[in-house]
Amino acid sequence: MKHLPLWRHELRRAGWTACSPAAALAATLALTAAAAAFGTARPQLERILLTGLEALIPLSAGMAAVAVVSRDPSRELQLTLPTPYTTTLGRRLAVLGGLSAALSIAFSAALALGGWWNGPGLPYAPLVWAAPLLWLTGLALLVAALGRSVVLATTTVAAVWLGEQLFATSFATTPGLRPFFLFMTTRIGVPTDWDANRAALTTSGALLAALALILLRRPERLLTEEET
Amino acid sequence: MDIQITGLRRTFGKVTALDGLDLAVPGGMYGLLGTNGAGKTTLMRVLAGVLPPTAGTVRVGGHDLTTRTGRLAVQRRLGYLPQDLGLYPDLSAQEFLDYVGLLKGLDDTAARRRQIGELLDMVGLTDAVGRKLRGFSGGMRRRVGIAQALLGDPALVVVDEPTAGLDPEERIRFRTLLASIAAGRTVLLSTHIVEDVAQTCRDTAVMARGRVVFNGPVADIVQRAEGITWELVGQGPPPAGGVVVSAVSRSDGTHYRLVSPTRPDPRAVPVQPSLEEGYVALMHAGTSA
Amino acid sequence: MTTARQTWAVTRYEFRMQIRKRSLWITTAVLAVVLTLTQGDRGPRHLPLGTPPREVMAGWALLMSILLPIGFGMVLADRLTRDRRLGLASLLESLPTGRGALVAGKYLGGLASTAVPAALVLLTAAAAETAHRHDPALFAWAVVAFALITLPGLAFVTAFALVCPLLTTAPLFRVLFVGYWFWGNMLNPDLFPSLTGTLLTPLGDYPATWLMGERALYAGADGWLEFLRPQPGGTTTVLAIALLLLLSLPPLALAPPLLRRRNLSA
Repeated sequence: MKHLPLWRHELRRAGWTACSPAAALAATLALTAAAAAFGTARPQLERILLTGLEALIPLSAGMAAVAVVSRDPSRELQLTLPTPYTTTLGRRLAVLGGLSAALSIAFSAALALGGWWNGPGLPYAPLVWAAPLLWLTGLALLVAALGRSVVLATTTVAAVWLGEQLFATSFATTPGLRPFFLFMTTRIGVPTDWDANRAALTTSGALLAALALILLRRPERLLTEEET
Repeated sequence: MDIQITGLRRTFGKVTALDGLDLAVPGGMYGLLGTNGAGKTTLMRVLAGVLPPTAGTVRVGGHDLTTRTGRLAVQRRLGYLPQDLGLYPDLSAQEFLDYVGLLKGLDDTAARRRQIGELLDMVGLTDAVGRKLRGFSGGMRRRVGIAQALLGDPALVVVDEPTAGLDPEERIRFRTLLASIAAGRTVLLSTHIVEDVAQTCRDTAVMARGRVVFNGPVADIVQRAEGITWELVGQGPPPAGGVVVSAVSRSDGTHYRLVSPTRPDPRAVPVQPSLEEGYVALMHAGTSA
Repeated sequence: MTTARQTWAVTRYEFRMQIRKRSLWITTAVLAVVLTLTQGDRGPRHLPLGTPPREVMAGWALLMSILLPIGFGMVLADRLTRDRRLGLASLLESLPTGRGALVAGKYLGGLASTAVPAALVLLTAAAAETAHRHDPALFAWAVVAFALITLPGLAFVTAFALVCPLLTTAPLFRVLFVGYWFWGNMLNPDLFPSLTGTLLTPLGDYPATWLMGERALYAGADGWLEFLRPQPGGTTTVLAIALLLLLSLPPLALAPPLLRRRNLSA
């Protein structure tokens, strides 16, 4: 593969950011262990493990994506190179997405093998985490590009995530909000419109991410951690 | 690779950094002098394709930099050393150059590695090849910077304030290096250090307030101060009405060299100007000097 | 120059730098508007006329505490780490100002700069409620609610938001902080072992419950660590505030050596 060395470099560039999905899953396991020690029932523990995939992995990916587009000591040089900087950013985001995906698939497989899987059929398992991940990451990138502010982007992600957790009932019962309910699997289960919810999240998430990348093609749209 | 700039404007909100700038740069080593805030870095960034112009045309090697295809064509043949080159601290010099080389499209691994080795040798970093960049001194970082700029054998090299903050020996080594690479390509050297241009460039442009106020042979700048450069030995503060270029305290008093359109003091004697005094005369033309 | 004067100098400039940040104000305004519009039927806006002003403003303070500290945590996350990124670490290390004074100043400045927009939000809510309920005492209770519900939580959040990124990184801290905020403040302790409803809840559950005269969220609800879940009241409110302030001290005490390690590393 011609670009393999470049991907290796981008993996190194991800640095600590790449640890975010692993940290999210480690936190999930720690919470599950604490809950088990507290005497929580097994179905509840299974739901906590699923929450790691559906809620914590997308949150970590969204936050990490903001870090990817906001931090680069060599940005001025990057902007002068024949490889468009958005391509480089795209590679870095793909590395982040790939790591999140690999960890999530491994985690899902481990849960299934251990008999702890409480989600949809395994062929659909990736949609548990992929749909909210894409949506939250797309939102984070778009707010970052529009607002040129790390604080605004991360706060938006945090507020949406918390808002959907706190007002889960409203999201589940309001027809206009239900397609964009990030935590349908863990909060409701796998109802008949689960596929539609995942499709809406995936499509709109891809749209948000595409819009963000178009905006980031303009150098003045690139934010830095400092000017915020 | 020649550069043709016409009516270039670049504004940042209400601030005008480049104000209708016209400039033609032929091949070879070319200097760009100017005070801090004159607009040099903005011009460098426009030439490197980092910033789009607000108005005007910029053609490099016949390519229009205001178009996407033109910008890409120029960037394929460009080497750029920004004023503040940020390096990835966790990489070694070799790894950093490998990464930049890949982004420049140098896909042949063997050829890329060979070129990196040659460049590291050329900038005198062979011994530090495996060390992480976080431990590099300012001079070493600049040398990594020029090595990355030369990757891919670019036809145009744009260097922005490359010697600022370097010690004299490192500065001399660096500008010699720049002069040595100018054969067969265009090197645009932006600096506020007059001596760097005097030692390396035949022609230069001088910028002030976003415009080019001089464009021609370096030697012609000296002429601007002929007849208006004075030396004076005095005990007190320098006389008013001129720009003091140097003041050396000796046993017989302080030896001042000034640029002033009129004799600043009855004791002042006219002297042969230096390039620095020519530059000062140029920058103060129309003001008190 | 005494340590107190040095701390005061750092505090003033940290406050100035923060308070001028566009993102601090936009974030506060957006979150406050979103919370106001989405508060639902149980929110303070829908309390019947004649409700004591104490309850109304406690409701507002609690409502704003759900999300505002998240924004403030995001703002503060890089305040101790940015000096190195900006190349100021060596300069700061060379100054006679001790690291303790620097950390204390950054903490107090950061706290003040987040307290100002938070207080303005509550005063705005008080003004709107006064127009509706015609009771000027709402302003006085806004101040009380701010002091008892909002400020102790901010003191706690500021300390951890400043110091934790020295151990992790700012992006990782932001992820963990959001997770913690949900787990430690709003996750029903009946469903899952969490700090929600304990004396250690920075949301201000105990003070809000005391001011409102009924359980605001989960204060004192049965759950994990029962000894931290006494019956809400005046004494336990004071205890909750004291504990939050006390818990803010260990990270601040750890900050100077962490900062030194960070600033002196290559």
